[in-house]
Amino acid sequence: MNDIVRQDCESVLAGRYGLLEELRGQCLLVTGGTGFFGTWLAEMVACLNDFHGFQCRLVLMARRPQLLRDKAPHLAGRPDIVLAGQDVRTLIELPPETTYMVHAAASPDSRLHASDPLQAIDVIVNGANSVFAAATRLPGLKKILLVSSGLVYGTQPWEMTNIPESCFGGVDCSAAISAYAESKRMAETIAAAYRTQHRLPITAVRPFAFIGPYQLMDRPWAINNFIRDALRGGPIRILGDGASIRSYMYPGDMAFWLLRFLAAGVPGRSYNLGNPQGISLRDLAVKIAGCFPRQVEIECRCLTNEVARRSRLVPDVSLAANTLGLGLTVDLEAAIRRTILWNQSVKTPAQTEPADDRV
Amino acid sequence: MKKILISDPTLRDGSHAVKHQLSAEQVAAYSRAAEDAGIPIVEVGHGNGLGASSLQVGVSLTEDSLMLKTARQNLKKSKLGIFIIPGFATINKDLRPALELGADVVRVACHCTEADTTQRHISFAREQGKEVYGVLMMSHMASPETLVDECRKMESYGAEGVILMDSAGASLPDGVAEKIKRLVDSLGIPVGFHAHNNLGMAVVNSLTAARAGATILDGTARGFGAGAGNTQLEVLVAVLGKMEFETGIDLYKMLDAADMAEKSILPFIPAIRSTSIVSGLAGVFSGFARHVERASAEYKVDPRDIFFELGRRRAVAGQEDMIIEIAANLAVKNKAGSRNG
Repeated sequence: MNDIVRQDCESVLAGRYGLLEELRGQCLLVTGGTGFFGTWLAEMVACLNDFHGFQCRLVLMARRPQLLRDKAPHLAGRPDIVLAGQDVRTLIELPPETTYMVHAAASPDSRLHASDPLQAIDVIVNGANSVFAAATRLPGLKKILLVSSGLVYGTQPWEMTNIPESCFGGVDCSAAISAYAESKRMAETIAAAYRTQHRLPITAVRPFAFIGPYQLMDRPWAINNFIRDALRGGPIRILGDGASIRSYMYPGDMAFWLLRFLAAGVPGRSYNLGNPQGISLRDLAVKIAGCFPRQVEIECRCLTNEVARRSRLVPDVSLAANTLGLGLTVDLEAAIRRTILWNQSVKTPAQTEPADDRV
Repeated sequence: MKKILISDPTLRDGSHAVKHQLSAEQVAAYSRAAEDAGIPIVEVGHGNGLGASSLQVGVSLTEDSLMLKTARQNLKKSKLGIFIIPGFATINKDLRPALELGADVVRVACHCTEADTTQRHISFAREQGKEVYGVLMMSHMASPETLVDECRKMESYGAEGVILMDSAGASLPDGVAEKIKRLVDSLGIPVGFHAHNNLGMAVVNSLTAARAGATILDGTARGFGAGAGNTQLEVLVAVLGKMEFETGIDLYKMLDAADMAEKSILPFIPAIRSTSIVSGLAGVFSGFARHVERASAEYKVDPRDIFFELGRRRAVAGQEDMIIEIAANLAVKNKAGSRNG
């Protein structure tokens, strides 16, 4: 049992679990069940069952379900959580008792998308098609939540503080590096087609960036690198002038929002999922450095002679806030502190990976 | 003034020119001189990178670990750089020990169309908190579009910059400008250029790259490097200073370092020999020169024919074995030709 994560779940559910009442007694299925989203959803469902008597049954579907036994054995051994080994691309049948489903299978690792864009496309596009086709045969299905991506918007205009669900434009469809974003766009379109032709009740969610337990520090994202640098004693190295803006949501809030979208999200709608409060990478580095008792140096490595390439990726979450009553319960500093605490107390699979596995 | 980051592989690329026979004393002496001159990055190791010492590409006189230890002891402000090609270098055998010995900067190189092979090494170096760059060798063999794709992969793996290497000294300024500009426009990380001088273009190609937006340039003392050598660093620093660029290097001390290198390290000053010109024209890796010369002498065939055949086959570094096969085939063909003639 991981105390930090359990405390997070209890905290976010306190006084708010009533917003998830539709899920009481239901059978939930999550594809990509051993990933970051799946693990946090399992933690939250376990907490709902243990402390609020929800009596949910949760099926975590993944290609390698044993991964959950490695990283969260307290979840893998629970009677209310079932692990199912299955590649979504070759899926024929879903457990017939499934009433709610989160389709989250896909790796968000940009290194994989760059090296093997065809696989990224295959998993996302063909996976969505297989899952939705199988879902048409479920007798008691009430809702599907498709996990899309905040990257479907492409480049957020610098002058736009927060990007709303209605804003599209900037994905370069001619670049292989766009495979992930374009596939996620296609998955949303496939969802729309299944809604129209098969009346599948599909809601989409577009996640932005997160920081917290179960997120591996080897992922090539700024905040992970900053925290990893600081955990090593520094310096924190910022590439560029540090003016780019990002926002980060704590996964306790993320998991609660996902369940709320599943319970009450309107089919046909797409909701942004993330923190609407942006922060520059420079300020982020300072904030992370301030979370350590010792002094952590910060280095800004700006090697481009052009005007710095600044980018912004911050969601507008007013749709979720205004229509579903969602808000943040963990601010960025608390999120960083809990992430540091978790990394100091838990050995992640990346840290325990056998060295010989690397060539 | 626009800033240019200079990386100096005299003690790595120069290793090719002396059949990888650099001594620890030479490493120490040049490291001290480079430190005095304020060269930002000094790259050290076997010519083909750490872990490459072998019968196939040349056995080092001095082990990588001793070279790194020696350089580390003599570099304070200057960063210690290493160069690795996945395949020659492995993470556990070479990269991890090098980082433990104090390497600051890691360059992970591959053929210009094979960036996928660098993912684990780049990621590992980043995970260790090191400054890491991706390097695409033989960049004349790929189109700007392909180079953009490959560099984007390296960027996604965590590379903090990418370097195009004109390993065969085959590029001309227009091509360099086009490729560098495309990369600068397409990537969010700095772009660099590493030249060879087979066609006498090393300095002008480097300046062209800087003008096109490159912010990292490589050069070696007296151009000490594979084949016809690299960009002559002291010339590059002088000319960059005369133009609109700032390197932070003390020119007088740079000139002193080059003089010292000529006296204490270089058995000869790199020159553009006939085989180097042919190597450049054929687009063949400069490091092949000594192997080609040896094979041509052994099989009594024209080295120029070997180079053009290597170019026709699009040979890349690591395929040195092909040289002997080509030389043997040419010898047989020549013999048959003389009989028939």
